[in-house]
Amino acid sequence: MLAYGPPSIGEPADWPVTTALLLPALLLGWLVVVRAPAGPIGPALALTAAVPALVFTAEDWGTTAHTSSPWPAASAVDKVAVGAWPWLFLGFVTLVLLFPDGLLPGRHWRWIWAAMPVSAVLVNFVVSREDAARTDTTPARAALIVIAFAAFLATLLAAASSLVVRYRRGDQLTRQRLRWLMAAAVAVPILLGLSWLASALGAPGTLAYTWFLIAMLVLIPGAITVAILRHDLFDIDRLLGATVSWLVTSLISAGVFAAVVLAAGGFFPDRVGVTTAAFVTALVLLPVYHWIHRTVGRLVDPDRTVALARIRDFVRRVRDGEAEPEQIEAVLRSALDDPGLQVLLRRPGSELEPPAGAIPLQTGDSVVGALVLGTTSARRVRRAREAVVEARLPIEVSRLQLELREALTEVRHSRSRLMDEVNAERHRLERDLHDGAQQRLIAIGMRLRSVQYQLDPGVPAYRELDEVVETLEETVAELRRIAHGVRPSRLDDGLAVALRHLVADSTLPVDLVVPELDVGESAATTVYFTVGEAIANALKHARATRISISVGLNDQVLRAVVRDDGVGGAKEGFGLTSLRDRVASAGGEFTVVSPPGAGTSITVEIPCAS
Amino acid sequence: MRIVIGEDSALFREGLSRLLTENGHEIVGTAVAADELVEVVRDVDPDLSIIDVRMPPTMTDDGARAAVILRAESPARPILMLSQHIETRQVVGLVGTGGFGYLLKDRVLRVGDFLDAMRRVVDGGSALDPAIVAALVTPTRIDDPVAALSAREREVLALVAEGRSNSAIAAHLVLAERTVESHMRSIFQKLRIDEAPDTHRRVLAVLTQLRQ
Repeated sequence: MLAYGPPSIGEPADWPVTTALLLPALLLGWLVVVRAPAGPIGPALALTAAVPALVFTAEDWGTTAHTSSPWPAASAVDKVAVGAWPWLFLGFVTLVLLFPDGLLPGRHWRWIWAAMPVSAVLVNFVVSREDAARTDTTPARAALIVIAFAAFLATLLAAASSLVVRYRRGDQLTRQRLRWLMAAAVAVPILLGLSWLASALGAPGTLAYTWFLIAMLVLIPGAITVAILRHDLFDIDRLLGATVSWLVTSLISAGVFAAVVLAAGGFFPDRVGVTTAAFVTALVLLPVYHWIHRTVGRLVDPDRTVALARIRDFVRRVRDGEAEPEQIEAVLRSALDDPGLQVLLRRPGSELEPPAGAIPLQTGDSVVGALVLGTTSARRVRRAREAVVEARLPIEVSRLQLELREALTEVRHSRSRLMDEVNAERHRLERDLHDGAQQRLIAIGMRLRSVQYQLDPGVPAYRELDEVVETLEETVAELRRIAHGVRPSRLDDGLAVALRHLVADSTLPVDLVVPELDVGESAATTVYFTVGEAIANALKHARATRISISVGLNDQVLRAVVRDDGVGGAKEGFGLTSLRDRVASAGGEFTVVSPPGAGTSITVEIPCAS
Repeated sequence: MRIVIGEDSALFREGLSRLLTENGHEIVGTAVAADELVEVVRDVDPDLSIIDVRMPPTMTDDGARAAVILRAESPARPILMLSQHIETRQVVGLVGTGGFGYLLKDRVLRVGDFLDAMRRVVDGGSALDPAIVAALVTPTRIDDPVAALSAREREVLALVAEGRSNSAIAAHLVLAERTVESHMRSIFQKLRIDEAPDTHRRVLAVLTQLRQ
C-alpha cells in the first residue's frame, strides 16, 4: 500500500516496517483534515508521510533495473531516484513553517519555503549526476556537492528555526503547543547532519539514515499529537476516541464471533454455530462499545473526565448542602482550567445580551444566562457545553437566588420609600394640627375672651364663657398631645433633645447617653419611637428598677441600645413584632437579648446615608 | 404699651391684636414673615415684640432667629416668644436673659396671666412657660448637676425660672416662705452657685447652669 515495491527486492520486513513508520502521520493528517478541512496542517501532515512513500516506491522501482525482471523505464527511474531522498523533507518543511495556525510566521519566510524545492532539486541533480558519472570526483564537482548539501541543510535548519521564532513570539498557550514540536523539528536537521558525518566516517548507510527518518516520521507526528491533544488544537480527541473505540469494538466483536463459531462448531452443525455467534456478538456489541468508548475517552481525554467528575461532585455537595450554588463560577473556572470564565445570569426584568461566542444557558425555551469563556477553542467550547449540562442545577439555583435577592432588595427599598412617605405625611399632619386647627381654636378662644370682657362680670354668661374657654384650652392641649403622637415635634430640635424629653417623662431612673446627632427624619423617628416603646415595655412588663439608653452614630449606622435590669425573658409578642417591623421599614435591624432573670437589651441599628 | 406682633396666622394675629387693644395696649406694627418683622421692629422700636417661633419663609424657627437678630442689635429689647409647642433649640441662648419670655400660645387665653407675663418681660424680668422650663431642666446625663435635685427642688426651680418671687412660689406650692428659701439654698448648693443678693441674677445663674 505504502512504499510499494516488489517483494523480491530488499528485506521481507521492509514493507511492513515502512508502512508502520508512515501510517501514524498519514492517520493523524486524515483526522486533522476531517476536523479542520480548511487548514493546511492536515494536508501537510499527510504530505509528511505521502512523499516518503513515493520516494521509497521510486527507489524500489529503480532497483528493479539491476534484476532479471526490470519494471518499465526502471533504469531512468533509478537515475532520478538515487538522489530523490531530499524530497522526503517536503512535508516536514511545510509542516514546521505552517504549524499551528496554517500561516507563515512572516512574509520573508516564503523564501525559505521556496528554497526548499530549489535546494532539493539541486541535491537531487548533483547526486544523480555523480551516481551516473562512475568516475572519480573532480574538485569542481566536489565543491558543487558540498554547496548543494550545505544549502539543503541550511534550508532545513532555517525551516526548523521558524518554530523557535514562533515560540519566542508566542503567548503561554502557543509556547505549550510548540514546545515538543520545536524540539523534534530541530532534531531532524541535526540528525541528518550527523548521519552524513557518520556515513562519511564509514558507517553503513541504512543505519545512519534510520535516525533522522525516525525523528521525522515518528517524533514530529508525536509532538504534533501532543500539541493537538493536550493543548486544544482542532478538537481531535473526540474523533480519535470514537475511531479507536470502533476499531477496538470491531476487533473484539470479530474475536467473539470467531470464538463462538469455533466453540459451537464442535457440537452443532455449521449454521447453528454461525447463528449463535451472530446472536452472542450482537448481544455483547453495545455494552462492549459503551465500555470501550468510556475507557478510550478516559485515556484519550483524561481532562474531560476529571472536569466533569469535579462538577458532578460539586453538584452533589450542593444537593447535600455542603456547598453554595453561587460557587459554580469558581468551580467551572478551575474544572475547565479557564480563569477568565464568567457565568452571566439574566437579571429579572432585564434582557441578557450575551457577548458573541458565549454559550447560552437555557431553562425550557428561555435563555437565562450565558457562559463566557476566557480562552476559546473548539474543544473548550464543546467541553464547556458538557459542563453546563452537568452544572444545570447549581446554575439554576444561583439564578433563582439572584432573582430572589433582587426581589427582596426591591421590596426593602419600596418599603423604605413607603416609610419615608409615611413619615413625611406624619410631619405634614403634625404641622397642619399645629398651624391649622390649634391656631384656629386659640383664635376663637381669644374672640370669646373679647366678647366676655364686654360683659358685666356679674352676668351668668360671663362665667359660662370662662368655662367654654377652659374647655377650649383643654382641647388645644389634647390636640398637642395627638400631634405629638403623630410625630413628636421635639424631633425638630434634634434626636438628642427629643430623647431627653422622652426619658424625662419616665417614672424610672434612666441613664441616657446621646450626643447631638444629625440623622435623617426616618432614622430619627424610628429610633425615637422604638426607644419610647422599649421604655414603656420595661415599665410595664420587666419590673425594672433602672434603664440605661445609649445612642450613637458610628460608620453611618445609627445605633440605639436600651437595657433594663428587669426580669428578662421577653418573648416575641405583638409589641416587639411591631417594633421589629418599624425598624425593618427604615432599613434597620432589631435585636432583642432577654435571658430570663438577667434583664432585657434591645438594640436598633439603622443605616444612615446622610 | 406699644406692641409689634410677628405672626403669620391672620386669625391668631387679629384675635391677639383685638384682645390687647381692648386691654389698653397699642399695636404699632404687625409682620407675617421673619425678615419683615425685623424691619418693622427696627422702624417703630416698640415697648414689646410678641413673636411666633414658627413663621415664614421656612416655617420652622424663623421667628426665633429673628428674635436672636433683634437681641443682637439691641440687647435690652423686650421680646415675648409664642409657640404652638416646645422648641428650645434657637431660643436657648435668650432664655435667662432679662426682658425675655417664652410661652405656649394657649396661655393667651388666660388673659390676666398673659398680661402679667407681658408686664414682667417689659420690666426686664422673664416669663417662661412651665412646660418650657420643664423641658430645660430635664436632666440629660448622670453627671448633670440638675439630676442631683429632688423633685420638689426642681419644681421650685421651675417656678423661679418663670420669674416668680419666693413668696409667690410659696403661695403657689402652698408652703411656708422659709421652706422655699431653704429649698433655694439647697438648689444653689447642689448647683454650686454662690448666693448673691439679687433674685434676678440668681435666676440667670440657674438658667445658665441649666443650659449646659
